[in-house]
Amino acid sequence: MKMKSKWIAALLIFAATAATGYAQEFPTRNIEYIVPTLAGGGTDLCSRAIAEFASKKLGQAILAVNKPGGGTAVGLVYAMKQAKADGYTVFAETPTASSMMVAGMVTPPVVLEDRVFAGRMIVDPMAYAVKADAPWKTFKEFSAWAKANPDKLTWASLGPSSLSAFAIQDWLAAIGADESKTRMVPSAGAVDSLTKVAGGHVVLASHSVAECMTLHQAGKVRILAIQSDKRSKYMPGVPTAVEEGVKGLSVKYWTGVSIRKGTPEPVLKKWEKVLAEIGDDPEFKKKVENIHMEVGFLNNEKFQKLVSDEAKFYTELAKRIGIRK
Amino acid sequence: MHLGTGFVAAVSPVNLLMAAIGAVLGTLVGVLPGLGPASAIAILIPLTSVLQPTPAIIMMAGIFYGAMYGGSTTSILLNIPGEVASVPTCIDGYPLAQQGRGGPALGIAAIGSFIAGTLGVLGLTFFGPLLADQALKFGPPEYFGLMILALTVIVGLSGGSLLKSLMMGCAGYLLSLGGIGPSSGFPRFNFGTTALFGGLEMISVVIGLFAITEVFVGLEESRTAVSIKNIGSVYPSLKDLKISLPAILRGTGIGFFLGLLPGLSAAVTTFLAYDVEKKISRHPERFGKGAMEGVASPESANNATSQAGFIPLMSLGIPASPTLAILMGGLMLYGLQPGPLLFKDHPDFVWTVIASMYIGNLILLVLNLPLVGLWAKMTTVPYGIMGPVILIISIVGAYTVNNSLFDIFTALVFGFLGYLMRKYQWPAVPLVLCFVLGPKLERSVIESLAISAGDGRIFFQSSISLGLLITAAVMLFISLRLVRRTEHRVKEVEGEIPLSPK
Repeated sequence: MKMKSKWIAALLIFAATAATGYAQEFPTRNIEYIVPTLAGGGTDLCSRAIAEFASKKLGQAILAVNKPGGGTAVGLVYAMKQAKADGYTVFAETPTASSMMVAGMVTPPVVLEDRVFAGRMIVDPMAYAVKADAPWKTFKEFSAWAKANPDKLTWASLGPSSLSAFAIQDWLAAIGADESKTRMVPSAGAVDSLTKVAGGHVVLASHSVAECMTLHQAGKVRILAIQSDKRSKYMPGVPTAVEEGVKGLSVKYWTGVSIRKGTPEPVLKKWEKVLAEIGDDPEFKKKVENIHMEVGFLNNEKFQKLVSDEAKFYTELAKRIGIRK
Repeated sequence: MHLGTGFVAAVSPVNLLMAAIGAVLGTLVGVLPGLGPASAIAILIPLTSVLQPTPAIIMMAGIFYGAMYGGSTTSILLNIPGEVASVPTCIDGYPLAQQGRGGPALGIAAIGSFIAGTLGVLGLTFFGPLLADQALKFGPPEYFGLMILALTVIVGLSGGSLLKSLMMGCAGYLLSLGGIGPSSGFPRFNFGTTALFGGLEMISVVIGLFAITEVFVGLEESRTAVSIKNIGSVYPSLKDLKISLPAILRGTGIGFFLGLLPGLSAAVTTFLAYDVEKKISRHPERFGKGAMEGVASPESANNATSQAGFIPLMSLGIPASPTLAILMGGLMLYGLQPGPLLFKDHPDFVWTVIASMYIGNLILLVLNLPLVGLWAKMTTVPYGIMGPVILIISIVGAYTVNNSLFDIFTALVFGFLGYLMRKYQWPAVPLVLCFVLGPKLERSVIESLAISAGDGRIFFQSSISLGLLITAAVMLFISLRLVRRTEHRVKEVEGEIPLSPK
């Protein structure tokens, strides 16, 4: 009899810990941080930094796993459709995988509602690059030229519904240039696209500050402006688009963490708390500065709103220029 | 002299140890199919928060160029290229191994790699920034010319039937079409599945067509071991060296200069180097049956290409391959931005890393030559043991590239296809070559025409592009004549027609 009560007591304790202790116990094993791009790129570097800091705070190893292909779709489908909704698989979220994908595709493989946007961590403004010895000294001059000569404007991008294309479409619309007369030249990646600009094979490309940094410092491209409300500390000599009289631009690169919908609430809360702490960590800020980006933490609520606002904006833009398929 | 101080720093115990670790790890990932330097370096990226920048980058660079040494081992001994760049090495390397000459072939590969690697670092040391600017001159129309030139290699590679070779080339191109289209950014030919969103993985196709096929063929033949002949000397003779040295130098030249162009990986340069060697040989009919030059040239080309890749990387921050992109990521995590400023602001770092490359190449030679004897014995291991081991390594290798289960299925399906192809004598090499070149060619056409608003004259307007197209035409002409001549020679040797007077 005594034996039996011991068993019952043990079972009760077990049940109690299982019910209430779950959130405290997460995580009990390794976590996969799915990066939908090749290793070495901007999103990959950011993700590895976030994974490193989150790992320290969660006390479990976090493995950055690259699942490239399909313009982020392969990794996205894995994280939001194939992996379990338990918080042990998280996704390196970007505009390309979220707001831009739903804008460019009528039936995207994963929709915004399939995931919880747990926290935005890092931002990187878009920069407009022309060849180092191009005739235009300022963004104002260049914008006027583009408006007058849209048929002469060739620009490199990573595909019609990519960040690099939306940034240029956004600008063309803002200055009132006829985008249908300009010519988009597809490229394999940011470096490929900027190399085309540096070699004079195309006139313009728009990539993030971090991506433009090397060829800018090497003196091979001229950065005419960046799309941000303040100047970048990495390119203090480059004006913002607003300073150059081009208003209303909003395309921006960011990355953060999203988790499959259906993940238990305590686990999501834990992730949100950890991400907020990382956003405040000065060591993390230093790491991010090394790769020429900026910490831009947004909590779940604000991040969710940002993505849905962006999605609306990009969908309209995509419809207007006829690339939504 | 900066290089001198670099050497002093590079021989410090820590840096020396790191160069050695890099060399060993590089050789290892080079030997294992599928697991390439890219994944190895990516795995080691977290070390950047522990190690100082110089030793860390020395090690990562060591893995990168060390992998080019290791790649020859399985290609020569087992007919298993771990990556596309090693495919040309198999063509002559494996027949050599079957003849019991695997040891000398490996030795030549190691020596060729060393010479090419060292000459490549010399190029980097003295002409780095000067050559980097040349890369910028190559735009889409120039790449188009280069791809057409590379495609002419198919004719040269057709061992038996030119028609079969061309058909396999087309098949390779069709297979490469799946995935995200270059201009639309939309997935195509995915048959409604997300698994095919990214297209077929090249490494899985190669592992399937070569490694897994080899196991199937071995099973069918109830093969006892790769080489049933006596293994002679495991080291190359002076005669082997004499034949190979010019091939090594030519391979180095081709690999180095083409390696300066971003987007032109070792996969393309090794094929071109092999083809050139076959064209200028006085005995082209020996190629494919165990010609030492056929191993020397591509094995040197891939090392020269990988060393040349450091030039656009360090001078302009343009990575020529995915592996170098990861290496660049490593640099950036340290706040070291590649570019001219890197040379100016951190000369000690740059020159220590460059000096370590000389040392690393030497370590690799010393490491690989004694291993040759050990590896060569692998060809006598009973196939009942080797076969399953190859199969397991292949499957693990196919998985690690993208961490994808689907890639394993791809490898298995292509293993079966490859078996059928081998049985009915359809060559796999043109398929692989077009699988690699097809998307690059398509991209260059679409990009060029986007620039010129659909005007096809753009391909002939740039002098570089025009020059490349003319070279391609000449190469095609030589190849076609060579195919005829080889057929003629084969008939002569087999006694079907009387020998032509010399």
